[in-house]
Amino acid sequence: MKRHPMLKYLKEEGPLGPRMPLIFCPGCGSGQVLNYTLHAVDKLIEEDEVRRENFLFISGIGCSGRITSHYLNFDSAWTIHGRALAVATGALLANPAFKIVVFTGDGDTGSIGGNHFIHACRRNIDVTILCLNNGLYGMTGGQHAPTTPIGTITTTTPYRNREAAFDLCKLAEIAGASYVARWTTAHPQQVIKSIMKGLRKKGTAFIEILSQCPVHEKKTPVDLLKGFRRNTIRISKSKESTDGKTLIGEFCDLDRREWNESYQEIIDQFVMENDKIDE
Amino acid sequence: MNKLWIDERYCKGCLICVDVCPKKALKASPEINSKGYILPVEKDMKRCKSCGLCEVMCPDFAIAIEKAEG
Repeated sequence: MKRHPMLKYLKEEGPLGPRMPLIFCPGCGSGQVLNYTLHAVDKLIEEDEVRRENFLFISGIGCSGRITSHYLNFDSAWTIHGRALAVATGALLANPAFKIVVFTGDGDTGSIGGNHFIHACRRNIDVTILCLNNGLYGMTGGQHAPTTPIGTITTTTPYRNREAAFDLCKLAEIAGASYVARWTTAHPQQVIKSIMKGLRKKGTAFIEILSQCPVHEKKTPVDLLKGFRRNTIRISKSKESTDGKTLIGEFCDLDRREWNESYQEIIDQFVMENDKIDE
Repeated sequence: MNKLWIDERYCKGCLICVDVCPKKALKASPEINSKGYILPVEKDMKRCKSCGLCEVMCPDFAIAIEKAEG
């Protein structure tokens, strides 16, 4: 029997019995993003760009938080709510050779971890942030989130949401991230290419992936994916108007100084001074 | 002819693979399995070009396509 090619990177058996199938609801976008990430990681490992032991996966709390340490057969950490980026900063300072992928949700990045997020972008730390944006708090029962679009019905906005939604990509771009892109789960090849680009990039790569929540949006996964294809427009095609659609594509791709490199200069300076004293 | 493998322990019957297949080589099974899920089954695997889109888009790592030899 042939099995899925990415199962080689997953822990199927744990000390307390089988870990698979994944905990997510049928048709959840989190499993798809995990699949896309593993395809990108697999390509980098096969091209000998990054060694398998140099990957580190960090997540916060929420549906997206369940992706890392439960299933991934890599170094991984399941950290506190909104603070995945703080843990990533520490890990990077301890070992600059790490290639860090941070899985966060929209609640994790946009609300409780908002400050960690903008300051990670400001410092331009060398991490790849994958934000799974489903526009609501999925794990706690479908409440409205800072990223819920205007006019959406959720369990806490039964008369439709009146608040404007957060544009996390613009926030990351203004805060100073090197690479910012937005895709949806209905664009697999683009997401895989973007993740590879983000992992190769020195500095913060923020990739927002619009993801579906079939349980709380009360539609089939197939309909939600079709909706993503219908209601999004590429940046290159939207010069005149967006027709009220969501922009997808690469928002910025800059070469800014990475945080760890600037710190290395101070370390080198002290090493030189110490050498002079020794002489 | 390529062969379809579905891991019945992992598949949750979201049927994304049936929808995304560009050649429409898969279909939903007429039967409901013991967990209450409708799994994908082969419709016409002669059409399958093993593009791998179903494997890439599967949220549960349950589908695999075995390429025919030769």
